[in-house]
Amino acid sequence: MTEHPITATPLPEGADRAYAKSVAFRYLIASTVILGASGLLGMVLRDSQAGAGRVPDAWYYAIMTAHGLGAFVGWGAFAVMGLAWWVLAEAGFPVRRFGRWMAEATWWLMVGGVFGVVVTCLLFKFGGSWVFLYPISLYGSGVWGKWTAFFFTFSVLLAGLAIVTWCVGILHTVVGPALGAVSKNPINRYFTSIGWGYLAPKKFASNGKGVPYAVIPLAVIALDMIIATLPLAVMLILLLVHTFVASVTVDPLWAKNILWWFGHPVVYLLLFPAVAVYYTLVPKKAGRPLVAGNIIAIGWAIAVTANVIVWAHHVYIDYPSGTIQASLNVISQPLTFSVTVVSALSLYSLFFTIFRSKYKWDTVGTALFLGLFSWFSAGLSGIANATIAFDQVVHNTLFIVGHFHQMALEGIGFAIIAATYAWLPEFTGKKLYSDRMGRWHVWLTFVFANLNSIVWMDQGIHGAPRRYAVVPHHWNSLNEWAVPVTFILVLSQLLFAWNIIQTIRGKGENRKVVTWQQAAPAVVAKTVVLAGLLGAIITGGWALGRHVGETPAAASTTPAASVPATIGGGDVASGKTLFTATGCGGCHTLAAAGAAGTVGPNLDTSKPSFGKTVDRVTEGEGAMPPYSSQLTGQQIKDIAAFITGSTGGTDDSED
Amino acid sequence: MGRIAIILIIFLLATTALAAVFTVWVAMSTRKQRVQSDAETHKLRETEKAWFVIVIVALVALLFATIFFTPYGRTAGPDGQVVKVEGVQFAWLMPATTIKAGTPVEFDITSKDVNHSFAVYTKGGKLLFQVQVMPGYTQKYVYTFKQAGTYDVLCLEYCGVDHAKMQAQITVAA
Repeated sequence: MTEHPITATPLPEGADRAYAKSVAFRYLIASTVILGASGLLGMVLRDSQAGAGRVPDAWYYAIMTAHGLGAFVGWGAFAVMGLAWWVLAEAGFPVRRFGRWMAEATWWLMVGGVFGVVVTCLLFKFGGSWVFLYPISLYGSGVWGKWTAFFFTFSVLLAGLAIVTWCVGILHTVVGPALGAVSKNPINRYFTSIGWGYLAPKKFASNGKGVPYAVIPLAVIALDMIIATLPLAVMLILLLVHTFVASVTVDPLWAKNILWWFGHPVVYLLLFPAVAVYYTLVPKKAGRPLVAGNIIAIGWAIAVTANVIVWAHHVYIDYPSGTIQASLNVISQPLTFSVTVVSALSLYSLFFTIFRSKYKWDTVGTALFLGLFSWFSAGLSGIANATIAFDQVVHNTLFIVGHFHQMALEGIGFAIIAATYAWLPEFTGKKLYSDRMGRWHVWLTFVFANLNSIVWMDQGIHGAPRRYAVVPHHWNSLNEWAVPVTFILVLSQLLFAWNIIQTIRGKGENRKVVTWQQAAPAVVAKTVVLAGLLGAIITGGWALGRHVGETPAAASTTPAASVPATIGGGDVASGKTLFTATGCGGCHTLAAAGAAGTVGPNLDTSKPSFGKTVDRVTEGEGAMPPYSSQLTGQQIKDIAAFITGSTGGTDDSED
Repeated sequence: MGRIAIILIIFLLATTALAAVFTVWVAMSTRKQRVQSDAETHKLRETEKAWFVIVIVALVALLFATIFFTPYGRTAGPDGQVVKVEGVQFAWLMPATTIKAGTPVEFDITSKDVNHSFAVYTKGGKLLFQVQVMPGYTQKYVYTFKQAGTYDVLCLEYCGVDHAKMQAQITVAA
């Protein structure tokens, strides 16, 4: 066997390097535009919850769906997928012709998928949430119909296919000629690409060393995402077929498992390439090689396997009778713990690469460093979430929302932001516009994105539910804090946008090396002072201004003297209690009960007669279920009496 | 919130504080801006093995400390009360039976349409328990109310436009 060919030297200037630049640049620009749009949608949602510009419920959930998919897939995944091509070029792996087809297909599929999601959510109000747990897309409750669901599902399928084509392209690249001398067998070359050369050098690396570390996470996730995405793609196709052949359905429990079979690894579709970015850039900023030995390869060997079998931690509190779900869930906890080992080792390696080094505290160095802390912190709450004991308390609360925003927006987002500042000049051949502006952007984002998450986590730990257009009053007090926080967070991104635009326009400055003394303490101090001032001004203004012009709550409930105590043998007072307890107000509007449901007919305006109400409640009609099995005849009369009495409907009872 | 959850929150706060101290320590260590020798880098690489062992030991310890706190396999026993519940967009359909405090209740919950989650809160907004509900399956949850009173039922799995309005009440008698 020849000498080991892996040199970890970047591709030389030439066609391969130029292609990697251009494709990474295109992915990065498209995804950054999507970040801007998704970020704005996120601010609208958060502020709506706080009462600052309340969005109607149907729109709220449609925006929520677009925001989730837009930010997570359209920004996070799309950006790191693009950066991956460039990381490979920096590690000496050229993208060959087939890989380029895959890279191009991925870009178009992703753009098409995001466009479809935007159209179906923001024009046609699809609001199934980004997980659209089966069968919710078939139950639009009047907000969206089957064709909206069809085109939404199709759009998500396009994004899913984008993931598959990307994976195929990455696999084709990592087992390419760069590893050709290790082995003729592509399977062996794949094992080399996920770091087995560090564990079994005789077989997987002829010079006793493995591949550049940054290649490993990309090779790992490229295999895992194919395994993770194909079952989901099949399910989405079945959902599409259902539109035409109603008998084609999916079992809800299988559907949930298949969704999370994809849903867990897709988080690592963001994290692992972000790790590859950290592995590439942190050593550059520290001026020393990555402090990693062979042990990290063990972490990745665990990860490549465990990543695709830990999905059940998303369904810890699903264990229907007569299924094996509870056992799957219990196994999932140790497996999930095992997948964190690679993060623990990577954080060690990255932090100790920086330790006592000549680390550059410029924009890129600062963003990477703050990202590492965020990844560390979010990882710890992730471990807590991975226990069944804790999940029972925080499942579907705002705690989870706080956790994954810290992970995605900062732990992963800062790798993307750092890569943008580091490589945009490389891609465009122009100097970065302003490193100082970059550091302001990075610090402001760090402070306010963390505050944003902390508010959510505190609300969630106290039981505040997620995906509520209106947060129940128990947890409302902290909502108002989120208004200035999200506002500053979004404003800070204007610094990012301006820096990118000016760089592309060639207005860049000469960069200086920024040391600790030059940068960090001064920026921290300035940021904290400014943040405090802005926060105080905006919160104060908001708190003072928000109640101005508010109509006082109607001096309510002067009981109408004309309403008799009983109608048709039904007791009006008891009917009122039953109306609320039975949940009628979830679907119907009735002022007398303070109910504002919009699914069923508005009772205040339809003023149903006594007899009609008794019939409808007993038998049900259309979407309304029959209540004869859980309400007695007398109880139904009571409810009918209350509705008729309070709306002035006709008393057509025979008694 | 159970005791185990409170312990986990304290654990989380403590480890996060440690992580913050560690991060600041690493940042401060770069003040001298020295070029590191290969020997020093090599030493840090060797120490990673010790970190690997520490991580494994910590995770195994945490696993054994937490894995026994699951809601699985509970039964209400012969004296238990059974309450059948059905979730529907956007209401909980429950019989008007009265639940007794101090006696285990087995909630048998299913859904007529989409996924829901049956979450019971105190009037003060404290989450007592939650469990997922899906169409075509029956999900059981056994709980013993300690105090008489009225409790709120919320839906904790997003189920459509009126998800936040899908609420009901449970009355527990002494």
